[in-house]
Amino acid sequence: MLTDPSFWLVQGLNSLQLAMLLFLLSVGLTVIFGLMNFVNLAHGSLYALGALIGYSIAEASGSVFLAFLLAPLAVTAVGALLYITLIERLRSAGPLPQVLVTFGLIFVLMDAQRYLWGSDALGVTGDVPFSGTIHIGSEPYPAYRLFIIAVGIAVFAGLYLLLNRTRLGAEVRAGVDDAETAAALGVNVERTFFLVFLLGCGLAGLAGAVAMPAFSAEAGMGVEILVPTLVVVVVGGLGSLSGAFVGSLVIGVTLTFGTALFPDFAGIAMYAALVAVLLLRPQGLLPARS
Amino acid sequence: MTRHLLALALFAALFAWHSQAEYYGFELLAEIAVFAILAMSLDLLAGYGGMVSLGHAALFGLGAYLYSWLGSDMVGLSAPLAILGAAFGTGVIALAVGAVAVRVEGIFFIMITLGFGQMGHEFFFQNKALGGDDGLFGIQRLDLSGIGIDLSDPGSFALAALVSAALVYVLLAWVLATPFGAVLKGLHANPNRLRALGLRVLTYRAAAFAFSGTVAGFAGSISAQHTQFITPHLLNWTTSGEVLIMVILGGLGTLVGPVVGAVVLVLLRHELSSITDYWGAIMGGFLILVVLSRQNGLVGLVERLLPGRRG
Amino acid sequence: MLEAVGLCKRFGALDATHNVSLRLEAGARHAIIGPNGAGKTTLFNLLAGEIRPDSGRILLDGREVTRASPDARARAGLGRSFQRNNLFESETVALNLALADIARRGTGWQVWRRLASDRAARARAEAVAAQVGLGDDLASPVASLSYGARRQLEVALALMGEPKVLLLDEPTAGMSPEETGRMLGLIDSLPAGLAVLIVEHDMDLVFAHAHRITVLNYGEVLFEGTPDEVRASALVQDTYLGEDAEAC
Repeated sequence: MLTDPSFWLVQGLNSLQLAMLLFLLSVGLTVIFGLMNFVNLAHGSLYALGALIGYSIAEASGSVFLAFLLAPLAVTAVGALLYITLIERLRSAGPLPQVLVTFGLIFVLMDAQRYLWGSDALGVTGDVPFSGTIHIGSEPYPAYRLFIIAVGIAVFAGLYLLLNRTRLGAEVRAGVDDAETAAALGVNVERTFFLVFLLGCGLAGLAGAVAMPAFSAEAGMGVEILVPTLVVVVVGGLGSLSGAFVGSLVIGVTLTFGTALFPDFAGIAMYAALVAVLLLRPQGLLPARS
Repeated sequence: MTRHLLALALFAALFAWHSQAEYYGFELLAEIAVFAILAMSLDLLAGYGGMVSLGHAALFGLGAYLYSWLGSDMVGLSAPLAILGAAFGTGVIALAVGAVAVRVEGIFFIMITLGFGQMGHEFFFQNKALGGDDGLFGIQRLDLSGIGIDLSDPGSFALAALVSAALVYVLLAWVLATPFGAVLKGLHANPNRLRALGLRVLTYRAAAFAFSGTVAGFAGSISAQHTQFITPHLLNWTTSGEVLIMVILGGLGTLVGPVVGAVVLVLLRHELSSITDYWGAIMGGFLILVVLSRQNGLVGLVERLLPGRRG
Repeated sequence: MLEAVGLCKRFGALDATHNVSLRLEAGARHAIIGPNGAGKTTLFNLLAGEIRPDSGRILLDGREVTRASPDARARAGLGRSFQRNNLFESETVALNLALADIARRGTGWQVWRRLASDRAARARAEAVAAQVGLGDDLASPVASLSYGARRQLEVALALMGEPKVLLLDEPTAGMSPEETGRMLGLIDSLPAGLAVLIVEHDMDLVFAHAHRITVLNYGEVLFEGTPDEVRASALVQDTYLGEDAEAC
């Protein structure tokens, strides 16, 4: 198996695909963390919500593309609601109350999802775009997974431009670097945070909607993806786009090859990577601030 | 002082309930005692030491599994040795995990503990030798027939569990009054200053994590004896969440608060689980409400309302 | 007691500290002055152990501490206060002092005795509290103290460890004249054998109380000498005291 080049090719692509999903989730978390020292633990639940809403839209309209478009918007709206009703109130209370509230939200959203969609895994029944296989060399590979990879890379490119070529991006980078000074220079840090938070929610929803045709949707998928996402944030380094990208690649490769080579211990490999980073380079591989 | 009086009153009420209870009451009391011990151990770490863990149940479950494994045919230790092995074995593992985890602070630490907790859950889930997803049956209780106590009797077991919980309260209250307890509070208030004053911050944090883990493992060994059947769910993030909510609902950093929280949450869960499938949402809702209220849980509220006390 | 040899520290393109040396004997009263941006804070942090130098050495009572952590330096006999109050805000004055004592002596492992039962420690805390004028406030929460009292406590924490070398970072920062007077009284009453290094902006304090002064500019030592020598130096006059001299 290990000498077969197609094994490496397939698992390599699988790693990339998992990495892209992790990237879509971790980038929002890490930039928000860098900006405001706050982690939304319910972020995984928004991913699940994106998948479930995407499922419903796809089933109702017959178009999975419509789901890709509308589910992220719906999740962003939910995120805005959560921010306005809960998170904003606790801005002055410090990071711990905010984290605790989002932790409580995991339970609430999980049950809400079970109530609305049930506990079973839901697979979309209509036509899924890119559902064929593409031959890479002699190896057949699901085209849809290549689509996911493409989406991830496109989002990375888009975010890179946003962060480095727009005013909002400059404000975000300033806020991550030194929120106090940025505010003193006239950057409306609260507003920047709100926009970045919404963007993060939208990306989580997109990740869910895009993952749904390949992996089906169910209420428990939020917590399942949360821990690898948090590991990516720690390993990649907080506050940076490239950190999220590189961290996602590291964890994507670790989990995919780990599952293929040592099925029972794949999780351990990921935690080993986490421990190694914590011991050797606690600030992460590519932190925004050193 | 008020808090110790509150604890005295609370334990007195629990013992009084025990004297009137029957089977169902005994089962509830035993569960309350187990979670009170677990919640107190988390309060020591989080409320006093300032290290909030979202993976504490993993240490609890580890204690349960260690007790079961040590007492089983695979190892064959007597129950008292298995209890000690479970508690201190969990403490050792907590020390190893803590030594790594305490190198980061605040939210990073919270995230790491969530991760490690899930790793623990995954380990026992995959481990077929210890039952995997199906769990472990036939766990033996401590044999106290030599002193005339039959722990297979639900009433006696519940009483033993309650006494254990009371003793743990006294032990932790004592530790908090020692120089080590002062260091814990200092680590919460200002670890940087402690470092500048000459304290090895990481060493003490890891020690606190290990001590808290030992107590959590002890709670696990009692839980295993209570239900005599354990599953990996004991280590799950939902269980960690429940314990944390107990501490916060009762009052972080009060030691008696976790006991209050354990009583309230265990009773509520039993009442409401039979009516609704969505106990999780209710628990999460409680947590959100308590945090939004800006009071330090029920004990914090009581202290606020007491005459002659400033806020 | 404390010796720094050729300390250098760069931050990117900025030479924050360049080839700085100084030497304090026991009983020294040494001040570091310089305009804003001269590198006083960086030098202070290098000595305290918050940052490591790129090159150079630091010796504490003859022992190499160049790369030692802040807590190792404290255990070796270095005490320091902070420019912005860095106290245990949620606790009482007594517990603040007790923590300083525990940290220095390594008694944090004592789980077999109650904190309150250590009479020797309590006596030490009472003595230091009296020395800084907080003798009646031991049971008070830090939150209830005035700013000046907190600054006193800030120094008291560093004194609890019975240090050989004491680093004071702008001890009179933000104080009223009355509070400044009290702080000066405290500095005057410090043990004669203690080597004291003060970073200060208050020139009156410096010239009245320091035995030796190091003047920094752009990260380098511009001049070092007694207060009279510093006042007489044309070099220092021009670059630093220039405006004041002209105003006289």
